[in-house]
Amino acid sequence: MAWYIIRRILQAVPVVLGATLLIYALVFLRPGDPIVALFGDKPVSEAVRAQIEAQYNFDKPFLVQWLLFLKGALTLDLGLSFSGQPVIDLIARAFPVTIKLAFMALVIESVLGIAAGFYAGIKRGKLFDSTMLVVSLLVIAVPIFVFGFLMQLVFGVKLAWAPVTVGGDASFTRLLIPAFVLGLVSFAYVLRLTRTSMIENLTADHVRTARAKGLTDGQVNRRHVLRNSLIPVVTYLGADLGTLMAGAIVTEGIFNVPGVGNLAWRAIQQGETPTIVSVVTVMVLIYVVMSLLVDLLYAWLDPRIRYA
Amino acid sequence: MTEPLLKINDLHVAFRQGRTMVPAVQGASLAVYPGQTVAIVGESGSGKSTTAHAIIGLLPGTGQVTDGEILFEGRDIAHASKKDIVAVRGSKIGLVPQDPMSNLNPLYRVGKQIKEALEAAGIAKGKAADARVIELLEEAGLPDAERRAKQFPHEFSGGMRQRALIAMGLAARPKLLIADEPTSALDVTVQKQILDHLDQLTDDLGVAVLLITHDLGLAAERADHLVVMYKGRVVESGPALQILQHPQHPYSQRLIKSAPSLASQRLLSQQRAEVREQAQEVAEVLADEVAQGDTQFGEGLDVVVEAKGLTKVFPIPGGAPWKKSEFTAVDDVSFQLKRGTTLAIVGESGSGKSTVAQMVLDLLKPTSGTVEFDGVDISTLRGKKEQLAFRRQVQPVFQNPYASLDPMYSIYRSIEEPLRTHKIGTGAEREARIRDLLDKVSLPWAVSRRFPNELSGGQRQRVAVARALALQPEVVILDEAVSALDVLVQAQILSLLADLQAELGLSYLFITHDLAVVRQIADDVLVMERGKLVEHASVDEVFSNPRQEYTRRLLDAIPGGSIELSR
Repeated sequence: MAWYIIRRILQAVPVVLGATLLIYALVFLRPGDPIVALFGDKPVSEAVRAQIEAQYNFDKPFLVQWLLFLKGALTLDLGLSFSGQPVIDLIARAFPVTIKLAFMALVIESVLGIAAGFYAGIKRGKLFDSTMLVVSLLVIAVPIFVFGFLMQLVFGVKLAWAPVTVGGDASFTRLLIPAFVLGLVSFAYVLRLTRTSMIENLTADHVRTARAKGLTDGQVNRRHVLRNSLIPVVTYLGADLGTLMAGAIVTEGIFNVPGVGNLAWRAIQQGETPTIVSVVTVMVLIYVVMSLLVDLLYAWLDPRIRYA
Repeated sequence: MTEPLLKINDLHVAFRQGRTMVPAVQGASLAVYPGQTVAIVGESGSGKSTTAHAIIGLLPGTGQVTDGEILFEGRDIAHASKKDIVAVRGSKIGLVPQDPMSNLNPLYRVGKQIKEALEAAGIAKGKAADARVIELLEEAGLPDAERRAKQFPHEFSGGMRQRALIAMGLAARPKLLIADEPTSALDVTVQKQILDHLDQLTDDLGVAVLLITHDLGLAAERADHLVVMYKGRVVESGPALQILQHPQHPYSQRLIKSAPSLASQRLLSQQRAEVREQAQEVAEVLADEVAQGDTQFGEGLDVVVEAKGLTKVFPIPGGAPWKKSEFTAVDDVSFQLKRGTTLAIVGESGSGKSTVAQMVLDLLKPTSGTVEFDGVDISTLRGKKEQLAFRRQVQPVFQNPYASLDPMYSIYRSIEEPLRTHKIGTGAEREARIRDLLDKVSLPWAVSRRFPNELSGGQRQRVAVARALALQPEVVILDEAVSALDVLVQAQILSLLADLQAELGLSYLFITHDLAVVRQIADDVLVMERGKLVEHASVDEVFSNPRQEYTRRLLDAIPGGSIELSR
């Protein structure tokens, strides 16, 4: 087990190196000059340009830029953003907000998705099941920003139950509606996955044996069908948490949430290489850790799986 | 006269398919008296399992009882309320299901799953139930029950799981135990131990048993009373010995005639000798051709396959990089397969017999030792051309005809594939060859356009045989080729294989766990145990005078082997 975890962590090294190199290459190849963009309509003097280029290593070949970034990253020095703030501070401010938002979305989607999927699976082909299938299809088919604006309009503007945007104060109540919107698509997938998995397990041999023991339908469904059906759902949720943590650009944009998605979006627009690459590196690390946790959780849920 | 415990009157069960009801059981009647063992015998699709599931109200999918009644202790449970039937399950009627591998929930400890049965029946709770679970597991013949109760199903072998399921079925001391093919997924020796134990337990407890099986020998040995089902109907019922010795219905007569465990030994050895003589004659002519020509593979020797000191060691994955563990699957096995004869390799699961087959097929490289095909060491084959030349001469037929045919390929395409791969003949020639092959395995030409899911298990296995013969091989490796088939179909395929051997001079390597079928097809027998060869002798010797204790155990385990039939 210990060896398995060490191996998995070692695997993260080439992943981080590859991902940052790729981002460096993409930012380097991107059309437009970030320094010109920074100054807008105003002309840039050669001296200022040379100074900025030297400060952000823009004057060096991109491989060298990348190596210099790695060297800094090892000492937690991620450089400065164009506005002069240390990138590490930006990340330290944005990630807690995103983590909070992601966990709220995760709880909403898993509780609602599993409950609805459980019931739809048992009542296959009945009214509730058909309704849920239509609802989930709708959620998957309609782009997320539509729901975002719709919720904002209904709850924020018309009913005024919640603030229209989150802004600087990322409190639990303010994040509730963005979290719901963020979890909506995954809710549909969790519902469908739970439902399919339930239907499959309902006809399993061991479920029939459990009924033959004299257990009631409720006991059988909860103990023997649901728990077995949750294995693929947990795998999905784990991977999904990684995605949610890596930022929800659209949702954070609509509700003006000061999270990672927003930070990355602004950095990309301005061509701030150090910020983009730093954010991506943290995202990659989160992904790697999350997928390791999911695999360990998987082994805990399913005793047949043992890692070595 | 006591009242029957279970009485089924004119039971009809049907499955809904769209708007129509497809009948599965059409008028089954039977009675089980307290403490009695009754066996329902029939092939797959006969409705025997459906009848069993109808009794405890666990028909799968859209199945429902359409007519008739099921009286348990005088009450009709076919039309009882859900609550009443749940109350009967487990506490009055126990079930020991068919496949021990899939019938335990993989996520819960074995002990907990048995405890559930006790709690559901309201017999014991908490600590008391835990203690009772250990007693039950011990009673079911599981050593070290206290530790075992805390383990998960995947830590159990098939036999152990079945013991756990028996403990579960008997946990609440039901009056009737339904045993649905309780041992058909297990090795013969394990099967015997478990059935002996089940017999003793149910005798001691006075539990009536309804045994569902396709194996007539097993049914006759274990049950007082037989019920023979065919196509959803009960065709014959009566005392076991009476049915066995004087079967009235033509279907029962056929069943008894084809059951390998019951068939007369003398008759078989005579038939076998005739087949062998013919096959060897044909094979000799073929060998001469091979020896004289220079286009074909091999030298035309009398010994067509020879294995010398075959050993296969598998590394066990996992653990720290510097710790290596290994498992020896096959340990120094040597044998010769003579042209035109059948060599059977017999052993329980895990004995290494299939690994030997894979090495002979050159699908797996031996760790040490060699396989020589007609004088050529197959490990020296180089390049695709030599490989193909070898593969042409050695073809396999595998156990599961459902899995060994590509579901997306038509039967025509499946049989044509080897011909295509080896670039044999033009389109028209290939078609003529496929016609001939289908004819040889007694399938109509119309089958060629169908797909595997449209064929029965027996038909599929015929297709697999036709495909193996497409390249006119000298050797066919039959890896449990008849084990998954019903008795009647099994007998048909075995006689087809014998006919083809006589006609084409084929040599067979016949791998099986079932000694009973060996007598019908093999000339020599290799017995393997845990990777080692323990006995090598002719069929007659093995059956009349087994030298090894292990072989004797395998022979004793053949169900119904000792029952005398009047002829």
